[in-house]
Amino acid sequence: MKSEIAELVKGVGGLVTLPDVFIRINQLVEDPNSSATDIAKVVGQDPSFTVRLLRVANSSFYGFSSTIDTVSKAVTVIGTSQIRSLALATSVASSFDGLPNTLVSMEHFWRHSLYCALVARNLAKRARRCDPDAVFTAALLHDIGELVIFNRMPQQAKDALLLVLDSADELPVYQAEQQIMGFDHAEVGGELARQWKLPPMLEECVEFHHDVRDGLRFQREVALVHIANILALMAEIHSLDPSDVSPIDPRAWAIVGLNADDVIEETVSEVQEEIAEAEKLFLGK
Amino acid sequence: MRKVVRLQSNAMIDHSDYQEVLSPNRYYDNTFDKEAIKLLPGEYFVTKRDMVLVTVLGSCVAACIRDRVTGIGGMNHFMLPNDKNDSPVAAAARYGTYAMEMMINQMLKAGATRSNLEAKLFGGGNVLRGFTVSNVGERNADFALQYLENEKIQVVAESLLDIYPRKIYFFPSSGKVMMKKLHYPNNDTIIEREAEYSTRLKHADIQGDVELF
Repeated sequence: MKSEIAELVKGVGGLVTLPDVFIRINQLVEDPNSSATDIAKVVGQDPSFTVRLLRVANSSFYGFSSTIDTVSKAVTVIGTSQIRSLALATSVASSFDGLPNTLVSMEHFWRHSLYCALVARNLAKRARRCDPDAVFTAALLHDIGELVIFNRMPQQAKDALLLVLDSADELPVYQAEQQIMGFDHAEVGGELARQWKLPPMLEECVEFHHDVRDGLRFQREVALVHIANILALMAEIHSLDPSDVSPIDPRAWAIVGLNADDVIEETVSEVQEEIAEAEKLFLGK
Repeated sequence: MRKVVRLQSNAMIDHSDYQEVLSPNRYYDNTFDKEAIKLLPGEYFVTKRDMVLVTVLGSCVAACIRDRVTGIGGMNHFMLPNDKNDSPVAAAARYGTYAMEMMINQMLKAGATRSNLEAKLFGGGNVLRGFTVSNVGERNADFALQYLENEKIQVVAESLLDIYPRKIYFFPSSGKVMMKKLHYPNNDTIIEREAEYSTRLKHADIQGDVELF
């Protein structure tokens, strides 16, 4: 099964690639000898990312009191690791344009991903132990395996979605995929993250967002993305009723140290306020 | 009454042409501990027994109609055909009327009394992909409300319009309905299925101008 997933992901290799600016910033962030100046230089060489970065830095997404008018100021104020997250977050949606499908509109797909990212960031700030920008990006990527499956295995993917729709017992999509193809979109996404050599935290969040198991290196981040995925659905359908959405693994709440009753309503309503601007910043609307 | 009528593309053309088939979507629902029927677009089901009728709706509507005395009940699932002809409203409404009357007639045959009928109405969500000028869901909802008003069948509950698809569980013997909002990625699956149904209706439309009743 593992080799089947690896083959599937290899098959999309030429169709979807990471943006250069992310790859270069990623190398610099991993390199202990690099400086913020080096990173600002790389950013400055990509005019399109520079524009996106300054837009995000000056938006209510960060809410800095002073104007961020230069790349070096953005790098200093936002932080190098966070710039890496933004480089991925502001370009990942267009990276997947080469992988179209007929099952789910890209607009719906990325809106759900963005809702998830906003919730994850919101919860990370409340829980205080994770980098909100890193978790934001992880959540934005959580379903990328779906785009691979929808594009490469359209018939099985359609069968899985119909199985969900017609199941008597509210079968989740990932379980329908396991029944029909023997693996699910989380595993495929995890493999894509590995082949792309994304930071291990992103890889774990993508691979285990339906499976908050013990023994993960980034259990908190994974648990945040798991919860965010479900709260995103609530925000999308304007519902606070848990029976309208898939269940949240209670272990996830324990791991992040938040109480569901304290945060759900507030978080859902805050991200509903943020979604329109976030779509402009991250999905280029 | 254990039959479902699947409206074939030519169903609205000629009564003798529609096919009565045993519902392929029959199952036992363990949650409710009842026999269950799942309805697809264009289908309806009428029953005297204690069971649950289930369907998922995007821009389509489902009328859950019931004789409040005998508990005989039925559910349909339909949309109006896309109008683009010269007298589109008439043609579309005729199909909607057909979808409602097929079921109501079946209920009356089963022993329901017209004056005892009451309805619960669901669907008509604006779930179409991307930007769209005409709101198909609203058109379907408006038709169903107008039809029931004309027929003097009281609407005792409704959940119509809005943006999300719905999953409906109707228990005819008690009249109870449970509704669940559906979300990504099922919204697109429903849109796709309704688009196929809409194409079937369009084919029927092209073939002609036929008096149904």
